[in-house]
Amino acid sequence: MTEYLIRRTLQSVLVLFLISVVAFLLIHAAPGGPKSIMMSPRVSPEVAKIQERNLGLDQPVPIQYVKWLGNMLQGDLGNTFKNNIPVGEIMWPTVKNTLVLMAAAWIVSLIIAIPWGIYNSTREYGLSDQTASFISYIGFAMPSFWFGIILQEIFALKLGWLPLSDMYKLGNEGDIGDLLLHLIMPVSVLSLGFLASYMKYARSSMLEVLDQDYIRTARAKGLKERRVVFRHALRNALIPIITILGLDLPILVSGAALTERVFNWPGMGRLFVESAGQREYSMLMAITLVTALFVVVGNLVADILYAIVDPRVKLGKKGGVSA
Amino acid sequence: MSETQSAPLAPTGNPKVSRRPPGALRTGWKKFSSNKLAVVGLIVLVFFVLVAALAPWLTPYKPDRIDMMFPNLKPGTGNHLLGTDELGRDIFARLLFSSRVSLLVGFSVAVATVMIGTFIGAVSGYFGGWADTIFMRLVDVMNSIPLLFLNILVLAIFDPKFIYMILILTFTGWMGVARLVRGSYLQLREMQYVEAAQAIGVSSWGIIIRHLLRNATAPIIVNATLMVGSAILSESALSYLGMGVQPPQTSWGQMLSNAQEFMLIDPLQAVYPGLCILIVVLAVNFIGDGLRDAMDPRKKAMMSPRRLDQWRKSFSKSKI
Repeated sequence: MTEYLIRRTLQSVLVLFLISVVAFLLIHAAPGGPKSIMMSPRVSPEVAKIQERNLGLDQPVPIQYVKWLGNMLQGDLGNTFKNNIPVGEIMWPTVKNTLVLMAAAWIVSLIIAIPWGIYNSTREYGLSDQTASFISYIGFAMPSFWFGIILQEIFALKLGWLPLSDMYKLGNEGDIGDLLLHLIMPVSVLSLGFLASYMKYARSSMLEVLDQDYIRTARAKGLKERRVVFRHALRNALIPIITILGLDLPILVSGAALTERVFNWPGMGRLFVESAGQREYSMLMAITLVTALFVVVGNLVADILYAIVDPRVKLGKKGGVSA
Repeated sequence: MSETQSAPLAPTGNPKVSRRPPGALRTGWKKFSSNKLAVVGLIVLVFFVLVAALAPWLTPYKPDRIDMMFPNLKPGTGNHLLGTDELGRDIFARLLFSSRVSLLVGFSVAVATVMIGTFIGAVSGYFGGWADTIFMRLVDVMNSIPLLFLNILVLAIFDPKFIYMILILTFTGWMGVARLVRGSYLQLREMQYVEAAQAIGVSSWGIIIRHLLRNATAPIIVNATLMVGSAILSESALSYLGMGVQPPQTSWGQMLSNAQEFMLIDPLQAVYPGLCILIVVLAVNFIGDGLRDAMDPRKKAMMSPRRLDQWRKSFSKSKI
């Protein structure tokens, strides 16, 4: 187990390292190089030279990278280009808001999807199963932001039941009830896609388990169907879902970015899109790394949990679970 | 002359009995056409392709023609079937021309990702070893990045141009196909005909392209179809965020971001483009499902009992 933990952690660190290299090189591959992004084109050549030295852009790329990485690791994410404010000061509060949104969507989709998927696995091709597969077809084919806009038009503009956008009403910051009210629409939008995929996984994983010999044994010895499904089958059926949760994290983060944009949610994704429009290079890099860190750590946790929960996973073997 | 005598001697004698079994295309089509949703999907997709191709002839208006005299017309006013937007552009014309962008992105990205993914998957599946390790680690890395962020980052750095969007969607979309092709190549390379081909001196690339690719086509084609849908969705998301198609070009995603701004004035404007995206992607996904079933040799074609009887009559040799 320890060996597996160490190897898996090292892998994650390597992945993070690669992502940071790619992100860094992308900036240097930009037409005109990082200078065109980080420096104003209006300054005179002499000033440009001094700026270049101050920013460290006259040094070779590998040295620049090491310096940049060193700063990042010490928590210095750089300053914004426009107002020279530390990036972290703007970014960290938005990270918190994004986490609130994602956690809510995640919990809601799991709470609905897993019981529904299990119910459908016991009544294959019934009305509920057909409905679920209809929803998943729509969920996979519909642009989530469009769904958001339509919800806004119906529930905020037409009926006036829910607030149109933002996280709190002005002056209401920190009020939980207000937050929940603002969460309803974004969470419905964000969880629809996941609802569809988790439900499918729960259903198929349950069907697979229900087909196994020990379930037949349990039924043969006269246990009630309820007991067979909930005590015998459910435990094993839920294990693969842990991996799916880990694998879906990047999609959750991307989806949150779109949802934030639709509902003007003050989160990381919206900040990223805005920064992209303004070419806020340091901000883009910082958010890229934070999301990558989040996803990689999430995957790591999912893999470790999987190994703990499922004793059948062979840890010593080369390649491990992820291969 | 009775049939029992003639059949073994002169198989061409009876026009009903052909010697060859029906080809893969014909059985495939039979299975595909028995799937109603898939057929509907195909019809819808063909309809959208025709609309995209004939767009300039279907509407008298240009999608980017601004007419500040008549902004925000209601649907059906004058010649404007769906009205005009806040700049007086004809919404119906914009919808038509947007279908060009979506389909172009969808199909070109699908073709490109499948080519790259097939190449990488074939190499890592057939050769294994370090090439496999490197490519599959790369797949792991790519899969653990939120790709929307990467797309936005790249488009922000290199200007949101149409061709860059297709390229970046390609570079962030090939992983699924690569995994799939690698899987089937891993299986197929153990086949005896591969051993036979190696024995008579066929080169590795010859085996990869001539022998293995054909046997791996079914899942690749299915995956390509599904890629069309996901590429259309990605394009609309990027355009909605302002990082995709730029004005004066128009796309459904871009129309949606416009429509959201003017939601209070004309709520219907937001409905049409989204509905178009939904319908096209749904159609493509249905086609993909139909193709999957059609190309799965384990799934038998649906046949009516009457046809089955006919088939028995003409094909049974024992005449019981």
